[in-house]
Amino acid sequence: MLAAESLVNQMAAAEPWPENAAFYQPLRGEQILVSDAASCLAVQAFLRMCSLPVYVVYRPNAEQMSPSGKVPFIHVGNHVVSELGPIVQFVKAKGHCLSSSLDEQQKAEMKAYMELVNNVLLTAELYILWCDDTTCKEISRPRYGSPYPWPLNRLLAYQKQWEVRRKMKALSWASKTPEQVHDEVNQCLRALSLRLGSQSYFFGRQPTELDALVFGHLFTLLTTELSSDTLPELVRAYPNLADLCQRVERQYFREPGDETTVSTEGSTSSA
Amino acid sequence: MGNTKLIQKNKTNKILTTFRSQRKQSSSGVKTSPRESRHYIRGGGCPPRCILGRDPPPTTSMTPTSVSGFTGSPRAPPPCNMSAPMELQCWRGDWGLPSVEPGSLTVMAYAKFAGAPLKLQRTNNPWWTPTGSLPVFKSGKNVITQPLQILDHLRKQNFNADYGLSPKEGADTLAFIALVEQKLQPALTHAMWLDPVNYVELTRPWHGEAIPFPLNFVLPNRMHHAAEERLRQMRGGDADPMEEAVQSEIYAEAMDCLSLLSHTLGDKEYFFRDSPSTLDAVVLGHVAPLLLAPLPSAKLQQHLKGLDNLCRFCQRILAQYFPQDEQDGPRSKNHQRRQNEPAGSPSEGDHEPHKLRNQLLSLLVAVGAMVGYALFHGLVTIERVGGADTDADIPTEMYPDGGASDDDDGGDS
Amino acid sequence: MGSVHAKALEPIPMDGPEHHSAFHEGSMLDDPGVETKQEVLDNKQVLVQNVSIQGLERTKDDYIMHEISDVFNATSLVEVMQKSHEAREKMLRLGIFRHVEVLIDTAKGPGAQPDGLDINFEVVEMRRLTGSYNTMVGNNEGSMVLGLRLPNLFGRAEKLTFQFSYGTKETSYGLSFFKPQTGCFERNLSASVYKITGQFPWSSLRQTDRGVSLDLNFPLWKTRHCVRWEGAWRELGCLARTASFAVRQESGHSLKSSVSHTMVFDTRNASILPTQGLLLKVNQELAGYTGGDVKFLKEDFELQLNKKLLWDSVLSASLWGGMLMPIGDRPSSIADRYFLGGATTVRGFSMYSIGPQSEGDYLGGEAYWAAGLHLYTPLPFRPGHGGFGDLFHAHFFLNAGNLCNLNYEEGPRSQLARLADGLRWSYGAGILLRLGNIARLELNYCIPACVQPGDRICDGIQFGAGIRFL
Repeated sequence: MLAAESLVNQMAAAEPWPENAAFYQPLRGEQILVSDAASCLAVQAFLRMCSLPVYVVYRPNAEQMSPSGKVPFIHVGNHVVSELGPIVQFVKAKGHCLSSSLDEQQKAEMKAYMELVNNVLLTAELYILWCDDTTCKEISRPRYGSPYPWPLNRLLAYQKQWEVRRKMKALSWASKTPEQVHDEVNQCLRALSLRLGSQSYFFGRQPTELDALVFGHLFTLLTTELSSDTLPELVRAYPNLADLCQRVERQYFREPGDETTVSTEGSTSSA
Repeated sequence: MGNTKLIQKNKTNKILTTFRSQRKQSSSGVKTSPRESRHYIRGGGCPPRCILGRDPPPTTSMTPTSVSGFTGSPRAPPPCNMSAPMELQCWRGDWGLPSVEPGSLTVMAYAKFAGAPLKLQRTNNPWWTPTGSLPVFKSGKNVITQPLQILDHLRKQNFNADYGLSPKEGADTLAFIALVEQKLQPALTHAMWLDPVNYVELTRPWHGEAIPFPLNFVLPNRMHHAAEERLRQMRGGDADPMEEAVQSEIYAEAMDCLSLLSHTLGDKEYFFRDSPSTLDAVVLGHVAPLLLAPLPSAKLQQHLKGLDNLCRFCQRILAQYFPQDEQDGPRSKNHQRRQNEPAGSPSEGDHEPHKLRNQLLSLLVAVGAMVGYALFHGLVTIERVGGADTDADIPTEMYPDGGASDDDDGGDS
Repeated sequence: MGSVHAKALEPIPMDGPEHHSAFHEGSMLDDPGVETKQEVLDNKQVLVQNVSIQGLERTKDDYIMHEISDVFNATSLVEVMQKSHEAREKMLRLGIFRHVEVLIDTAKGPGAQPDGLDINFEVVEMRRLTGSYNTMVGNNEGSMVLGLRLPNLFGRAEKLTFQFSYGTKETSYGLSFFKPQTGCFERNLSASVYKITGQFPWSSLRQTDRGVSLDLNFPLWKTRHCVRWEGAWRELGCLARTASFAVRQESGHSLKSSVSHTMVFDTRNASILPTQGLLLKVNQELAGYTGGDVKFLKEDFELQLNKKLLWDSVLSASLWGGMLMPIGDRPSSIADRYFLGGATTVRGFSMYSIGPQSEGDYLGGEAYWAAGLHLYTPLPFRPGHGGFGDLFHAHFFLNAGNLCNLNYEEGPRSQLARLADGLRWSYGAGILLRLGNIARLELNYCIPACVQPGDRICDGIQFGAGIRFL
């Protein structure tokens, strides 16, 4: 398997980054949820940091299309790669790497902090979305089911809720109180804030995939309306993290002419 | 029997012990009766670390909402909680490990590092626990099942192994724990519980032996399914952990994680500074079982054995902090013994108490039935005289095996 | 009592061993021992005086009355026998009796007339609950099928069936309730709830359907009609990570709510290997106007003509065709499109491996036609004639067909041209085996004669099993 994987990677390396590389995510307006939005934004930020152009395609069935069942995924040549970790590896095989200048110690730290973000922030987002009854009822379920007709919208939303709760149970998050979750998030944010310190990016002057991941999550938390303001408040309490978000957004998402990459091709199927 | 030996052994740490009991005068110093003291893990054979001598680091610019930070400034110990004895129900040790289960091992190691007086009860029985798994930590009314939350609790009780860490090191601790939990733990779970060869040849028979009689037919299977479910959910709903592609992904990630840990450790004795901290406990908890368990199918073990510094790290900590468990002897000896007496326990020390425990148990049941009968018919009435006495006695009576299995710790040394 | 010897047994159709036995166990025993009173009763006027049914427990009298009332109208003995035979067939068809035996006797008791007859039906009802269990082995999958049937649930031939299939990969189930109209079994209503999972390796597709359906069947003149509403939640997914992106794009959930109508005109004398007759089946389906997010109109037909030739050989010609028109701007789903090819349709091609494809995954088409010409003959030298050997036949075939997507903006002429353009055809010969009256097996040697790029052919020996054959 590993041999096969490396073969695929070699094949991937042989081809340059194609013009028609596509990035798939759920519908931006009415469907996407915080956790997915954060993951999508993180991958987008990463690709922009690598200056790899992609067409963004919005599909209501992006989640089901993804080989791992998680958004976002990219379709490059014959390859379909989902989630940040594998995408970073895939892009690295193509010769684009943000973390090549780091030494081994820093690489270890970067991976550790990325796991911290995934472990805490992503899980906390899922917890808020699907384990908090108010959010679940007012935001998560209606949005999740929005592309589907009745009664499929209800069915799928409840199915998703059941799945996430089962996952939370397996990860022993189900028994946590919202306060405990906020504490975990706060602890994670504090660790990130301490690691960042007064630097512009986590590892000096150049961004890495960790910056992309942190940006994806924090920027989404800051800009998304949830049923309670606790999470954005927690983020705002760490000014250097909020600054990082602004920095990344200014540098990579507000360039003139970047409208071409954020086209809304393919959103026709949302009917 | 083992009692006297233990006391002798503890003489070597006398300075440290007295040092600590001064510090916690309000708690263990007063409460500890000589009989109970043998249940406590004393700070093994560790070099005398001057915990008290070191000034707590200056409080950092953290927000006041900080919770149980790894760099936390020492808090005023809440006296009421301190009086409650802290006990940990966990899996027993084998293969030169004080406990074979990562969570139990992590907590035990941390308790050693922080000098927390933790009463161990190697119940080997997760049937009655709140989540159906071990370890379970009990202190007064607090019952905690998550290893990391147990560490948090200990830290709040002022048993802090992380005094010396800078805020950044505290942050790194959190991050690396996440790394271990996300990348190494799944592989460890897989190797122990889902790899068919390991499960059938090692994990299942081991647990079948360790778990008391009727439950040992049920629990290994239940734990196997729980492990599978946990892994499935960690990888996302669709991924079947038995699938080869998923499996190799899990192992590849774990190897990567081990290499990263090895790089981070470098030539240092511990991960941060010159004393063990939380991260050392967590890494030990996850790496040592992988290193020492005699897994028949051991891809990951091979990789780990190539990382010299990580292996030495584990051996060193085990030798320093759990010396009595080292004396189980080399693994080959263990194996032999297991083969010689397939139905018996792996070590001599365990063998005796098991018998004793079974006898005790049956005796208890008989006495319980008689007393119950007597109470029910009003032959005997009981008046409660005082709370203090019963409080102290209840735990030892409720877990008759706890004392016994601790005996073997002493007996081995 | 002396039995009657009837000369005119020939006109009564005797197909099937069950019916055959009726005559032996019935009144018309050819018993040479009792020849005291031999009379030719061919055209003798008789009167059916009493009809009694024995063995009814749960079945309601009023329901069964409708099935047998016709017997009273018989006026001659031959007619009595014919009608009672028909009544017996009707009763067996209800699926609520295990055995039905007919006894015809001269009328007895008070008020018995000299030309009076009593007809006595002896029936054994089915058990309240019947079960079946079987295992199936399919492509890389084994499954266990458990069936439960509650025939005659409320005493009027209602039926509740439950089928559960537990496979190594997928589970499916179906629960259906069937209610015929009293007095007209052909007019019936059935409702079902189901979950079906299917794996389609030719498309790298996995499909799970959960749905409810409501069927109304009724005869009209010489045709049978079925009006059906179906609501189905379809879940599509890729079978493997290597599935083509075109199939990946189809993944996800959809809800189809459709109304369909089927008309069948069937004068064939058997559904498997008929020797004469015509079958015409027209089906149309309209989805999207009763809910759901799938909108299309689907039309298809099936035509089969059979003609008996010399030496027991049969010439059979069939033509199938269909068209799917998506309504609105959403493209059609792979779950609704047509697939063609394989041993039951166009022989000489792999299963459903004709037409549009992407990276080796067949995507199906929105229009198709297929035609077949068969010559069925008995086996050479007729081994086992009159017995087991009659289940086997040899056949020579010529198949043709095409599957493609249409562009509805073009005129009908260019569409027809497109359907004629990418023609595939094949020919060959083989042996086939009739299994009961429902299925047939084929072992053919196929020679594909005209293929299109992208088709997967099956040159040489091809094995086929199925119910419906081109």
